[in-house]
Amino acid sequence: MKTRTPVTLAAAVTAAAVLAACSGGTKASSGGDSKTLTLASVDQGSVEDVVKAFEKANPGVKVRFTTSGADQYQQQIRTQLSSGTAPDVMSVWPGNGNPGATYVLAKPGYLRDLSDQPWAAKLPDAVKSVAQYEGKTYNAVFGLNGIGAVYNEQAMAKAGLTPPDTWTKLLDFCRAAKAKGTPAFALGNQDNWVTQLVLYALVATTVYGDDRDFDKKMQGGQVTFAKSPWTTALDKYLTMEKTGCFQKNPLGTNYEASQGLAATGKTLGIVQGNWVIALLKGKNPKGTFSFKALPATDDPSGTLIPAAAGAGYGVNAKAKNEDLALKFVNFVMSPKGMNLFVKKQGGLPSLPDTGYAVDPSLEELSTFIQEDRTVPFMDQLWPNAKVQQTMLSGLQEIFSGQSTPKRLLGEMDADYQAGP
Amino acid sequence: MALAPHKQRPDRERSPDAEPAPRVRRARTTPPWWFALPALLLFTFVVLVPSARGLYYAFTDWDGLDPHFSFVGLDNFSDMLRDPDAMQAIGHTLLIAVSITVVQNGLGLLLALGVNTAIKSRNLLRVFLFAPAVITPIVTAYLWRNLLGPDGAVNSLWDAVGLGGLRQDWLGSPRLALWAVVAVIVWQFAGYSMVIFLAGLQSVPKEVHEAAAIDGAGPVRRFWSVTRPLLAPAFTINLMLSIIGGLKLFDQVYALTGGGPGHATDTISTLIYKDAFTLGEFGYSIALAVVLTIIVAVASTGQYLVLSRNERAAS
Repeated sequence: MKTRTPVTLAAAVTAAAVLAACSGGTKASSGGDSKTLTLASVDQGSVEDVVKAFEKANPGVKVRFTTSGADQYQQQIRTQLSSGTAPDVMSVWPGNGNPGATYVLAKPGYLRDLSDQPWAAKLPDAVKSVAQYEGKTYNAVFGLNGIGAVYNEQAMAKAGLTPPDTWTKLLDFCRAAKAKGTPAFALGNQDNWVTQLVLYALVATTVYGDDRDFDKKMQGGQVTFAKSPWTTALDKYLTMEKTGCFQKNPLGTNYEASQGLAATGKTLGIVQGNWVIALLKGKNPKGTFSFKALPATDDPSGTLIPAAAGAGYGVNAKAKNEDLALKFVNFVMSPKGMNLFVKKQGGLPSLPDTGYAVDPSLEELSTFIQEDRTVPFMDQLWPNAKVQQTMLSGLQEIFSGQSTPKRLLGEMDADYQAGP
Repeated sequence: MALAPHKQRPDRERSPDAEPAPRVRRARTTPPWWFALPALLLFTFVVLVPSARGLYYAFTDWDGLDPHFSFVGLDNFSDMLRDPDAMQAIGHTLLIAVSITVVQNGLGLLLALGVNTAIKSRNLLRVFLFAPAVITPIVTAYLWRNLLGPDGAVNSLWDAVGLGGLRQDWLGSPRLALWAVVAVIVWQFAGYSMVIFLAGLQSVPKEVHEAAAIDGAGPVRRFWSVTRPLLAPAFTINLMLSIIGGLKLFDQVYALTGGGPGHATDTISTLIYKDAFTLGEFGYSIALAVVLTIIVAVASTGQYLVLSRNERAAS
């Protein structure tokens, strides 16, 4: 009898400790006094400066923030939102089609409506379409990125070639480059997200050039991938491959290796997002690189660039400190905050009147945005994440002879029609 | 699997040379059952309850986010049967597990026999051969991703020895990628199997070998009739470890190929990860995890039963 008490006690203490450990996580973000803002971000390497500037502009305010890579962030934020422990402000991707996207998070009511904020009405239409869900703005999108051809100017000068502005000239350019032993573009298709970039660049012009309302028609079920100019774009992608526009073995080449090829002039350029310029400069500090639209037809005035909102910020519908959260988001959307952010990230501001001095390498992208010759990244308006994943692995399968364009577009249609 | 060692102990203790042990044990009082209570509670709350709750989600359409989800019965499992990606992944998983088990242990045994001889550099060799097993798998995978690239060291090596025709896009070709993954894993863990076999080999008494030699047995016969039966416990542990490791394989595949090109190297584990965290189909991916658990349980239990019978027959 005597021994039983301590043991039972020990058991009870252990159980209590275990239970406490189970519930310990839920209190992480409580204690929201009026001077502390909690923030979770994917903008590693740039948000730090913005937070510093925000704290400086608001004396006494402390921002407690975490940064993580996209994959990890998406798991983290979903867990926190569903358990009521999410921070006040969080990174949110534009549109739909990924687990941390505006539609996905706004639909169950996790985000605060930001339509009443001063910048919401000023967003360009292409950005509005992906920052809004059912007509209300939820995402403070601060930066824009484009996809196109990034040329290594030294390599181009050495080869004596200039950037092509029509489809015919593009193929001639590829042949000439190949003949000189330096293929036109590096392609790192081993990382499957890279496979979509050339296709998007071609789809922008071939699909949206004649039909800016293509997405609305897709949503209404009037058109499909398989019976639309998507077939033309995919065919052109493969024509580029056959013509020798890319280096050998794109499927064995990863993103990192493809940067190396373009940075050191083993290829004349790379089809990528403008963000790659900073990475290329990292690999070859002496190099100069410039972003140009990738032509897909023989009418240069009809060329469009896929340019899209990068990840922005949303406010938690149950923010502990809503005033401060709005203040932070408005700071990000102010000329000062926005310019700071995009300068660090090597992109362009989402609002037209911030007085941002555009880097010369991005001049063409900036011009296209001002002339409204851009379309959002295609996946941002798709109903679920599956369509894009099917496209990415399908493109790898086409490049390795395991699938055909017809089959891929059929599968994408099936996933699209499965709905949200 | 955790129960396995308990099962075996009574057999050993009942053997004649362990005779006095039971008498001593009977003299002791059995400890009261609630001595196990703290550990049991911990196990219940840390392992059993979360696992059971996880299991429940396999029968729902939970997306990992929405608090509203519904019970869908066996839908996730029937979807799996219709999902070519899932079927392909199960096939790849089994293929990888079997080939790793066979090749890694075959090679491990040969290496163990090699470094168990009297050659001079044997200690150095043991260290070198075991070294890869010490490195984190993700690091070796990234290393090999570059070595196996189109302009990587492997292809350069072929060029250097004048066999440029053997250049391949090792990870970019659906025909080769799966085998490249297997090769990397074998490269890393053959030394690990070797160490376990080596320990087994060194416990084989010299006298037995000498006696067999005097009876006129050649090296092959001595291996087959003397060494092999005495190595049975090493076989059991090695085969178990490699089949379980092979079935659960995730990190090396994910780092080497990401499951590509296309789905050519997807395993059940990489598919679980993609379905849950990229597509937000948590219910479906947990159902896949349940299937993987069942496959691992069946394969390892079956293997254990067969091998332990062999062990008993051998001893």
